[in-house]
Amino acid sequence: MNNERISAGNTLLGSARVIFGARVVVAAAVLLSLCACSQAPEVLTVKRIPAGKEYSGFLSSYANLKPNANMENEVSFVSTDPVKNVHKYVAIIVDKPEVYLATNSDAKLLPDKGRESLVEYFQDAISRAVEDAFPIVETPGPLVLRLRTALVGVDVGGATSTDQKETGLDHAINIGKVGVEMELVDSETGQQVAAAVDRENLGDGASIASTTFSREEKYRAATEAFDGWASRLRQFLDSAHELSSEDVARIEQTNFPYVPSRDSKRR
Amino acid sequence: MKRTLLLAATLLLPYCLPAADEVSTFPAYVDSDICARLMLGPITPERMQCSKSTSKDGDMPVLVRLSNNMVFTANKEKTIQPLVGQLASITGEIKPKNGTIKIQSATPITADSLAANDPARRLVDPSKFTTQRDAALYEKIRHELAMMPYITEFDFISFTLSGGNVVLTGWTIRQTNRSTANNAVRDIPGVESVVNNIDVLPLGATDMQIRAGARAALQRQLSRYFWGNGSDIKIVVKNGQILLLGTVTRQADSDLATIQCNSVRGAFKVFNMLRVQSSEKKG
Repeated sequence: MNNERISAGNTLLGSARVIFGARVVVAAAVLLSLCACSQAPEVLTVKRIPAGKEYSGFLSSYANLKPNANMENEVSFVSTDPVKNVHKYVAIIVDKPEVYLATNSDAKLLPDKGRESLVEYFQDAISRAVEDAFPIVETPGPLVLRLRTALVGVDVGGATSTDQKETGLDHAINIGKVGVEMELVDSETGQQVAAAVDRENLGDGASIASTTFSREEKYRAATEAFDGWASRLRQFLDSAHELSSEDVARIEQTNFPYVPSRDSKRR
Repeated sequence: MKRTLLLAATLLLPYCLPAADEVSTFPAYVDSDICARLMLGPITPERMQCSKSTSKDGDMPVLVRLSNNMVFTANKEKTIQPLVGQLASITGEIKPKNGTIKIQSATPITADSLAANDPARRLVDPSKFTTQRDAALYEKIRHELAMMPYITEFDFISFTLSGGNVVLTGWTIRQTNRSTANNAVRDIPGVESVVNNIDVLPLGATDMQIRAGARAALQRQLSRYFWGNGSDIKIVVKNGQILLLGTVTRQADSDLATIQCNSVRGAFKVFNMLRVQSSEKKG
C-alpha cells in the first residue's frame, strides 16, 4: 500500500502529502544506513598479527631490536642519542593499549566490552607501574614521552555458558599466547626513544569471560599476567634509565653540597 | 538504645575524624626559598645578605625552624615577607610531611631571647654549628645520592651532615625522588635522623617549556657541561624563575649561562648560583 502511494506520488509531484511521505522514507533509509555504518568499523578496526610475520606491526620501527641481556624472552632497543634518550624526559603520557588478535582468531567473535575491560585493566596496571618513575601527564610537550603498548596475540575462545551474569561475554578471551609490544616515543615528534617486544608467557591458562575481573582462578591468572607484564615494563624502563659507573663518577666529581657558603659565587 | 548509640557516637567521633593539624609556636629564621634550600650554613651575616637579596629579586619567603633546620612554605607570604633575614617567633598549623604551615602569627625576635640550652641556638650561633667531620659517612651519603637513577638536569638534591643528623635539601620534579633520597640516606649506618627539605616542583606547562628552553640554550653554548645521562649544570625552574646550580670551570661560562637563560621565552628571573671552580677535584 505504501509502495503504491510512493509510486503514485512520483507521478503527482504537486501533492505535498506524498512529498512528505517520501521524505520520511528517505530519512529513515539514511538513518538505517548510518546505524549500519556506525557498527561496521568496530569489527573492521580490530587488528591482527599479519600471517607469517614475526611482529604485529604496532611499533614504529623494529629495526634496532636486540635480545635484552637482562630480561628473558625480550628484545629491546634503547636510544643512546645524547639529545634524545630516556634521561632527557621528565613526564609521560600513557596511551590506551591496543589489541592485536592472533592471526587465525575470528575478529567477529571478539566482544567489544571484553576487549575494553582488558585494555582498561592493562592501562591501569602500566600506569601504576610507571607513575613514580615518570609523572603521568595528559598533553604532549618538549620533555614528555609517550608510552605506546599493545597486547599481541589475543585469541577468542569458545562460547561461554549461558548462566553467566549480565557482565558475562558471549565468547571468552584467551591470553595464553599473548605478548606485549611497547615503545617510548617523543610526544612531539614521534621519534622512537626505546622499544621492547616482550614474549614472556605470563598468561598461560588465563582467560576472560566477564567484563568484571572476579576472583575466579582464570581471571586472577589474567590480572596477574597483566600486572606481570606491567612490572616487566617497569624493569625495562629502570634498566634503560640506569646510570653507568662513569655517570656516577662524573656526578660525584661535580655535585657537592653548597655548604659552607664561602665556596659559592653568587651573582 | 538511642542514648547508648549517641554516647558511643560521641566517644568514637574524635577517633573517626581526621586529626587536626598540629598547632605550635617555634623560633624560626625567615629566609628566601633559594637560600633556605641551599642551606648556606648557619645564620651568618652572609646568609642574611643572601636571604635579603634573593627575596628582593622576587624569590618567595619561607620559614626555617631553628631547632631542626626544617623548611616550611607559608600560606601567607606577605605576613613574613618583611621579616626576611630576621628571626621570628611563629605560631601556626604545621604539616611536617609536606613542609607547609598555616600561619597564625609571626613576631620578630632576637637571638638573645633564645634560652642558652635551647636547641634553636645551634643554628644562630656559628661557633656551635659544626658540619660533618665523619668523612666516611659524608662520602657514603654523597655516593648514595649520586646513584639515584631518576635525577635529571632539572633536579638538585643535596645535604648537610651534622653529627649523625642529615638535612636533605633541594628541588626535584619527581615526588618519588624525595622519598627515595630519604630512604637511601635513612638506612645508612651512622645516620641518626633525617630532615627532608626537598621541594617537589610543579610540572606546569609553562615551567616545562622553560626547562626545555633553558636546557636547549645551555646545551647549545655550553655543551661540555652536558653529557648523555646528566649534566654539571642543574636547571631548577619554579613558577617562571630559573635557578642555575652546579659547577662550571670559568667565570665566563657562568656569565654565558645567565645570558642564555635570560633569553628563554617565559622565564622572568634567573638566579645564577653556579660555582666557578677549576677542573681538579672539588670539595
